[in-house]
Amino acid sequence: MSEKKKGWLKTIKEFVYGMAAHDTARFALKTRGSMEHLFILITMGDMLGIPILPPYYSLRILPYCVPQIATWKRRMLREKDFTDTLA
Amino acid sequence: MNSVLVIILGIVVYYLGLQIYAKFYDRKIIQTDPKRATPARLYADGVDFMPTSKNILFGYQFKSIAGAAPVLGPIIAIKWGWLPGLVWILLGTFFIGWIQDYTSAIVSMRNDGKTFGGISYSLISPRTRVILLSFIYFYLLLIAAAFANVVATFMANNPNIQFSIIALAIAGIIVGFLIYYGRVNLIIVTIIGLVIFYVPLFLGSNLSAIGGIAKLATNKMLWLVFALIFSFLGSVLPIWVFVQPINYLGFYIILLGMIGTILGIIIGHPNFKAPAFTGFNADGQPLWPILFVTIACGAISGWHSNVSSTGTSRQLEKDTDTRIVTAGAMFLEMILALIALTIVSVTTAKGAWHTLFGQGMGEIFSYIGLPKDWGNVYGPVMIVVLAITILHLVVRFMRIATNELLGKKIPALRNPVLGTLVALILSFVLVYTGTFNYIWVLFGSANQLMASLALLIASVWLVSQKKPTGFTFYPMIFMYVTTMSALIYTSISVLRQAITGLDLAKKPLPTSSIIGNYFASVIGFVLFFAAIVLAYDGMKAFLKYKRQALAQNTGAEVVEVTK
Repeated sequence: MSEKKKGWLKTIKEFVYGMAAHDTARFALKTRGSMEHLFILITMGDMLGIPILPPYYSLRILPYCVPQIATWKRRMLREKDFTDTLA
Repeated sequence: MNSVLVIILGIVVYYLGLQIYAKFYDRKIIQTDPKRATPARLYADGVDFMPTSKNILFGYQFKSIAGAAPVLGPIIAIKWGWLPGLVWILLGTFFIGWIQDYTSAIVSMRNDGKTFGGISYSLISPRTRVILLSFIYFYLLLIAAAFANVVATFMANNPNIQFSIIALAIAGIIVGFLIYYGRVNLIIVTIIGLVIFYVPLFLGSNLSAIGGIAKLATNKMLWLVFALIFSFLGSVLPIWVFVQPINYLGFYIILLGMIGTILGIIIGHPNFKAPAFTGFNADGQPLWPILFVTIACGAISGWHSNVSSTGTSRQLEKDTDTRIVTAGAMFLEMILALIALTIVSVTTAKGAWHTLFGQGMGEIFSYIGLPKDWGNVYGPVMIVVLAITILHLVVRFMRIATNELLGKKIPALRNPVLGTLVALILSFVLVYTGTFNYIWVLFGSANQLMASLALLIASVWLVSQKKPTGFTFYPMIFMYVTTMSALIYTSISVLRQAITGLDLAKKPLPTSSIIGNYFASVIGFVLFFAAIVLAYDGMKAFLKYKRQALAQNTGAEVVEVTK
């Protein structure tokens, strides 16, 4: 199959995926992200000024949370309203 | 007029709009840059902000904006004849529709992916955000009422589709569990879901013995309650259990219907049989401004600005993808509206608006060798699926909005069940007591007002960036004047009927309709005054930025003279 044909097939495939399943996949990712962020909040919430006594386990999981801290902080502190749920 | 000619006309407008007008605006006015970091790349968190291929986003944007409204608008507007609808769909999309979708996404992207609430807060005033969010709540209420009414009307008038719509709910739950718990292959799950849906549809439309069982009821009230229970489940159950699988199956149901329709139009190329123009006044409603709010989504819609400024703007990988994704989806929706207009124009059948679509589908299906009865049944199925898949999402949004707007004052409303019940009770009262024509016009007016407010916010942003504003400002003025006229006309009309107790034909109204007319007029006036305040604040900000731009220009000249 020529490259051009492959390109067209890929475009159509992506378009159909976008219509049929993209929002479902996105919502699954959002759910996972929200759970992770909630977990970081209850273990590392003191970083945002929430009065949580950092437990011993916070220190144990710290290396795993470090890569996510920047996006977690941004997501927690971002201004939101109910139109965000339309996304 | 030949139906194929209408589609060709649509394709020509699509090409001219997207490849010439939109390209010019994108390159010369907005000056998009493929190297500019978009919020999706800048803040990529794999949750809200996620760079996504433009082809996927194009499909996502199209699916998010193309609900029941682009199909229903042209069907209802056929009462003025097909010509006014055709002209408005083509010109509305070309001059106003796409630019609203496109600039909404651009404004959000240039403001770190903020929604309109946040943008209006920072660009205009804090008050504007509160009023805008309240406005959106009433707008959602009108969508819920309009679509619940559509579902109830079509279900009560088409007993052959009742089984399959109930089966769709069951299929959705089964599909959800098979995907998430059973981990069954998606293709197999899709086939199972579609079989569960199509078998009752096939039996209901062909076997009269089973058809008798299928005819559960022709009581509109029963089906209104069904639609609201459906929405209740969609709102309170986890989204993957009910809403997502049903919307997923709904996609295939609509896709098959559209493929059949397009093939039918190409093979049969029937001529339009409906009158081209019936007059400037139809059913007591004047062409201007009511046509322009009756056909909303097919030409321009405020809903699109919400989709563009929330979901899409946070996923666009490149600045230059914005045109193809937002404007491209809008022009494709225009084609969908033209197909809906074609379906209701090729039939000679006369009757209520909700019967015409099925009749037209039957006519078009017959050109590809399918029995007319199939089309007569499939048309209403498509409308109900389109309406109900939006309805349960809207009720879900309303539940969240109730929590957001009233949750602090009334903590009980933070409860998902109570929040949903508030939304459903308001929708029920509006549908039970209201007249569909007025609800649809109020919904269309709120939708178009949302669009003009989006254009106003875009104009304010453009002037703050010292860019030409005429491309959004003049369409905004047209949409604002038209929709405010429609809103005040309808509000006064229903209020007058409520006070006199007589309808347009001077027949006495039942008490429920009198209450409904009062309710509808209150919503109409609330939206009207909210829109006045929003426009006042918006214009104040617009003029402030304009003066600043002029002062800076003057300053620049002074500097040059000094040099």
